[in-house]
Amino acid sequence: MEATREIYWNVGHGVVWPMYVFSFIAMAVCVYGFYRRLVVYRQGKRLNRFDRLRVRVNLVFRNVLAQTRVLRVLGPGFIHALFFWGFGFLFIGTLLVMAQADIFQPLFGVVFLKGTFYKLFSLVLDVAGLVALVMLVGLQVRRFFAKPEGLETIRDDYVVHALLFTILATGFVVEGVRMAATEIRNNPNLSLYSPVGMLVGKPFVGMKLDALFLTHKALWWFHFFLAMGFIAVIPFTKLRHIFTTSANYLFTDLAPKGTISTINLEDEGAAQFGAAKVADLTWKDIFDADACTSCKRCQDRCPAFATGKPLSPMKMVKQIGEAAFSNPQAGLIEAVSQDALWACTTCRACQEICPANIEHVNKILEMRRNLSLMEGVFAGDEVRTATSNVEVNGNPFGLAFAARGEWAVGLDVKVMEQDSDVDILYFVGCYASFDKRNREIARNFIKICNAARVRVGILSKEEKCCGEPMRKLGNEYLYQMTAAENIERIKGYGVKKIVTTCPHCFNTLGRDYKDLGLELDVEHYSTFVHGLITSKRLKLKPEPFEFTYHDSCYLGRYMDIFDAPRAILTTAGGRLTEMAKSGSESFCCGAGGGRIVAEEKIGTRINVERVKMAEATGAPLLVSNCPFCLTMFEDGIKTGDCEGKLKALDLAEIIAARIGG
Amino acid sequence: MKILVCIKQVPDMESRFKVNNSGVWYEETDLAFRMNEYDEYAVEQAVQLKEQSGNAPDVTVLSIGPGRVVEALKKALAMGCDRAVHIQDDEYYLKDSWQIASIIAAYAKDLNFDLIFTGMQSQDRGSAQVGVTVAELLGFSCATTLVGFAYGGNVITAKRELEGGLKSVIKLRLPAVVTCQLGLNTPRYPTLPNIMKAKKKEMLTHPVADFLKEGAHSATERFYLPAKKGGGILLEGDVNDMVDRLVEILKEKNAVVR
Repeated sequence: MEATREIYWNVGHGVVWPMYVFSFIAMAVCVYGFYRRLVVYRQGKRLNRFDRLRVRVNLVFRNVLAQTRVLRVLGPGFIHALFFWGFGFLFIGTLLVMAQADIFQPLFGVVFLKGTFYKLFSLVLDVAGLVALVMLVGLQVRRFFAKPEGLETIRDDYVVHALLFTILATGFVVEGVRMAATEIRNNPNLSLYSPVGMLVGKPFVGMKLDALFLTHKALWWFHFFLAMGFIAVIPFTKLRHIFTTSANYLFTDLAPKGTISTINLEDEGAAQFGAAKVADLTWKDIFDADACTSCKRCQDRCPAFATGKPLSPMKMVKQIGEAAFSNPQAGLIEAVSQDALWACTTCRACQEICPANIEHVNKILEMRRNLSLMEGVFAGDEVRTATSNVEVNGNPFGLAFAARGEWAVGLDVKVMEQDSDVDILYFVGCYASFDKRNREIARNFIKICNAARVRVGILSKEEKCCGEPMRKLGNEYLYQMTAAENIERIKGYGVKKIVTTCPHCFNTLGRDYKDLGLELDVEHYSTFVHGLITSKRLKLKPEPFEFTYHDSCYLGRYMDIFDAPRAILTTAGGRLTEMAKSGSESFCCGAGGGRIVAEEKIGTRINVERVKMAEATGAPLLVSNCPFCLTMFEDGIKTGDCEGKLKALDLAEIIAARIGG
Repeated sequence: MKILVCIKQVPDMESRFKVNNSGVWYEETDLAFRMNEYDEYAVEQAVQLKEQSGNAPDVTVLSIGPGRVVEALKKALAMGCDRAVHIQDDEYYLKDSWQIASIIAAYAKDLNFDLIFTGMQSQDRGSAQVGVTVAELLGFSCATTLVGFAYGGNVITAKRELEGGLKSVIKLRLPAVVTCQLGLNTPRYPTLPNIMKAKKKEMLTHPVADFLKEGAHSATERFYLPAKKGGGILLEGDVNDMVDRLVEILKEKNAVVR
């Protein structure tokens, strides 16, 4: 007897018409539900996320089918992925049944669900169903019993879980009852290829055939209507993420990470800057709210949330969605709250981990832009002062701009104004120029360059703040003003390469200035020095030391530079002990997003939190390569009572002390 | 109502000052300039009054100085003034307060201003005489060092800061000149739409000769940096020892402790 089974066994081919009618109704409800939502998305501004389709489709495959991003958090990610794959096989199986029963067999007389392929089909679906069911129970145990902190359970969750569980369970019972009346009785060998169905069917074998037929019919319809119900409720429950989250990969921002839209200040017709209402955001920003699954991974990693500040990236995204769907005229900033907006350090931990590909940071920046450019509001009086200082003196400290190059007096470094024949232009940045502690970074970097015979020039008093903190605080106008001056100077000297010691300058000059007309090779000194070492231009005399390394957000998550600094430090003789949070999961020092010039008045201190993580490694040395981070750590070590136990050093200081050999 | 705001552009006080060639003022290279802090309060108060009066008042902002003062005028326009008047004068620093006040009064004489706001003094020269002299020359009532301002029915109610922490509240009729002090208000940060609007506002330039009719009553003799005094003394060590040493120093160097 050939291995196969009768499709529509017991229910008869007469079900085909009512079945398709109900299926179309369910799908129509689903489509209508999404159409209603589409209208809401379209309230947002235009944005092209349909270019480079090949890349986009590739991203969808990688992240939806392969569940790559979901799997970044192993526990629940693994359960979700297995459930997804299990359910996916069941879906494909159903399609195969449909293809044979309603297309190939009636039209062409072709039956492919037979023989070895049928056995494989049957086994794979049985296992897939079991895996899906077990994983679903796992997810339920997590959500309803383990209740991880921050995971919010709403009505949708009960509906979705009940529906999915019943669909999977009744699927096996329908199969079991059918097998009890057929395979188990007359083809026990074949039933081995449906192991779960067989196990479920065994208890039913004793039942009378009439009763089995009736039970099967009733359950078949029940299972069918549940499945149709599942399709129909997709757009109305969290299940919508099946489509929205998947589509969000298609809509990926393909610009370099950290790209912010550069406002055209010449546009005299522009009357609104930044986002005050939903319509000031793009359709993608609204869509993001629908793609969010409330998995809270962003919230778990947010340094502001972790230290008791009123920001949760997840809630912010939800609040935008609520406004878009219920009250589009409502003020977004009031909904999210100014305190929450100013609390963001733009560390990108939320965005980097988000399995739904949501873009959190730029939403916050758009709202900050509205506060700054439309309302003239600051995160605090100290920020107002710093802003005015940048305006007048080109640095947030308010120190005389003419003193910017004083740190370099007596060092072998050229001032471009006098001699611009150099290998690299060192863009020093405000902190390494003016801050006493951070000047050590600048001086030691020059020592390293001197040892490698790299001719370095600085702009000295012609250099201004790169504008990054101001831009991240929403002040696009001031950013573009100071950027324009820097660009003019840099271009004027025919510079070929810029090296920065500050990751914020690095991001701004290398990526953001492109929009303003500066196309130059810009490098952070971590990779530059690494290059000098590997090309043997710089020789080090290794000296052993124990350390832990802090990935600054703007070097790590923003630029994916993780290995070069670690390689340099170990070459210099260091033994690295990683912190609990490192690499792309690094925890911000608290200074990003312009927070370097703002006081931290709400909750506990982010820098102390980070310093404690460094202390927990037992290493006596916390190495970073960002002046903002160093500033925060020096402060955190003092206020966090780690003096004597932990010392903060910059990479440049360590390398400069080991030149030689 | 017509309002005039007189502002000055001054160097940022964190700048590194050098004496210029004339020997009576500072060298401008390497200096960063900004609107005189007290004049920012004046601009803010004028714009607030405009807003409170249903935007009816017309606010003119005036500054005397070289080309660079246009930047300060632009800021005042972005803050909400309606038009700017730049009295071009590269040798502003050779004029005394009397001459500066006379230039302003000559400009304002026939323009029927009801109210003139200015800072209580400039951060660089610090004479605090221009505002009151303008009032005298125009025959306006005048109140200085305002830390509070209210207007109603042609009467200004002003809160003034006096010596020793005392405050006084006075009323004065229009036309009037008031000079503004820290604490009067928080100057607004210009919004981007207002910065853009400001670019289209009227900016009139007059050579100083148009209004300069008076000679100087005083002249700067010499301009020099203060002589370097001895640095501070940092006491370190045990608290009791430090107290003893401090008392000794106070006895030795001052008449504070006998």
